Amino acid sequence: MKIVSWFLAAIITLSLAMSVSANPKRIGYIVNYGTHEWYQNVIFGLQSRADELGIELEVMDANLDINKQTQQAEDFMTKGVDVLIMTPVNEEGVVPILRKAKAEGMPTVLEGNPAKGMTTLFAICDYDAGYKAGDAVGRILVSRGESEARVMDVGLPLLSATLLRSLGFMEAIAKHVDAVKVHELDGSGMIDSSVEVASAALAADSNINVIYGINDGSALGGLQAWRAAGLPEDDLIVAGTGAEGLAFLNEMTKEGTPYLVEAAMFPEGVGYTGMNLAVDLFNGVDVPEHKVTPTLALTVHNYAKYYDFDKAGQKRAINFANVANIPTETKCTKYASDL
Amino acid sequence: MKYFQTNESILFGLLVLLCIFLSFYNPQFYSIQNIHSILRSSSTVMIVAFGMTILLTSGEVDLSVGALMSFVTVIVMDVINITGSISLGLIAVFGFCLLIGLINGLVRTVLNVNSLIATLAMMLILQGSVYVYSMAAIYNTHLIPLFSFIGQGFFLNIPMPVVIMLFILPFFVVLLNYTRYGRYFSSIGSNPDAAKLSGINNNRYKVLGFVITSLLVGVSGVILASLMDTGQQGSAKGFELIVIAAVLLGGTSFMGGKGTIIGTILGILILKIIDNGIILMRIPQEFQLIVPGFILILAVYFDGIRKKNSG
Repeated sequence: MKIVSWFLAAIITLSLAMSVSANPKRIGYIVNYGTHEWYQNVIFGLQSRADELGIELEVMDANLDINKQTQQAEDFMTKGVDVLIMTPVNEEGVVPILRKAKAEGMPTVLEGNPAKGMTTLFAICDYDAGYKAGDAVGRILVSRGESEARVMDVGLPLLSATLLRSLGFMEAIAKHVDAVKVHELDGSGMIDSSVEVASAALAADSNINVIYGINDGSALGGLQAWRAAGLPEDDLIVAGTGAEGLAFLNEMTKEGTPYLVEAAMFPEGVGYTGMNLAVDLFNGVDVPEHKVTPTLALTVHNYAKYYDFDKAGQKRAINFANVANIPTETKCTKYASDL
Repeated sequence: MKYFQTNESILFGLLVLLCIFLSFYNPQFYSIQNIHSILRSSSTVMIVAFGMTILLTSGEVDLSVGALMSFVTVIVMDVINITGSISLGLIAVFGFCLLIGLINGLVRTVLNVNSLIATLAMMLILQGSVYVYSMAAIYNTHLIPLFSFIGQGFFLNIPMPVVIMLFILPFFVVLLNYTRYGRYFSSIGSNPDAAKLSGINNNRYKVLGFVITSLLVGVSGVILASLMDTGQQGSAKGFELIVIAAVLLGGTSFMGGKGTIIGTILGILILKIIDNGIILMRIPQEFQLIVPGFILILAVYFDGIRKKNSG
């Protein structure tokens, strides 16, 4: 009799739980720049989790146009999606959308950048990601018996997010060795621009032993400029940021490469986390204002734990479970307001 | 005295002054490494600018060169990755560039669409379709050393992009200055009706100008792909504006009829040395965009004055 009671209680509890946490049926995502590798992988993560949960995901690309993003948000609201996810084209521009969504009772989740009036956001911590890469580079320098890091920072000084990455990187290195930023460059986040500015900077002073890039293109551009200048790679360490696509895996797995560290931001993991957050918000679960997604310093020794890389086929497959197990910050160590 | 009043001599004087100023500011300016850096980054612009000089001289312009160059980096890397053959990669690139040049030329001449609009449309088509071709950047998986040598190697201590540019240069100097075909381009640009009456097939030469420019973009694109070691969508952003600004600064008229390769080379060197100086002097790099913008306005303004005076 006791067993039957327990069994009935379990069924009732399960039924109640299911009725409370029903998944949304349709979710709309407006990406700000869908052709970028980072966002393609964010979409992959969102879609992967949506497929697991049986949710229909519809994606629209604002292509860096805030007017288009506003129109697309209105289209999604008219269509009646259950949750709206957006990567803002700009932080001010999405405020009216958020206001309208709130008025219409549409649960809205932001990715990447916060905006006034938002309920919740999923994003990495830029400072902490840079810090982890700097810490890994600092350890390598110490293991090599180096006492100084002379850094060429191929950055993007106009964006607070990338400034935070550079700041975290430099502060972490300084915990291990003396750290000097020899060059602070604007590579526009593009490999060709980075090659050009880094070439000129290296011509002015090539006495550096660390190249840091605020994304993969910047790091690779710095490295290509180094190679084009015919400089020796023996004592050089290159660190990139993002793990946006295949670039860092291709370079990191080459024999004798100086590309030793990647501040991985796991874009697929960002998407996966974002979908969970959207479901929680839909179900009325108490969600944090900023859900921090995992970052980690990847090296040639640990990348395989998180990515299955098929070099010949030029494909990578993320291990969502292992990425989800990476300890994450509850809040970022530094924000744009700290700059 | 007259020599010192020519456009080229003024540009040369400006170039010398710039070099003196920068060498005082930072002696590293004259380091071999810096000279290599300036020449290497100038070379890809110069190669395309040779074609653009011909086009502008004939009264046309091509805004699609940057988008085409980005597409070329993707095609060459992809085809070599798949086939393992640099030759096949080059055939694919030059076949594609030939097609784009032909389309640009035919849209201009047969459909009679202004080249500014026709090539702007082509730029948009290429920018979009490169993502249809491949959503992700194409990385070098073939690892053929000769391919890396094209953009990163040295021949007799001269960077390979410079060697390639020097190989192409004489052809255009001779074409524009010492052949009747060069004079045809000027005639078409300065007075198309008179050129037609004198028996020149204007449309044929205009199409040829677009095709030559596109093929030169192919050369620069291959160099860029080698230098980046990647086929990258979105690369060469704003490249067309740098090329056009440099050609106009070099004395080529936006209205057609006048242009010299030497002037174009001097214009590019001035722009690239200013770029280099901005980094050496640690001036905010936004000026790398601002300066060509100003120069473009000044160049067109002075071109108008020259035209008025000569008229």
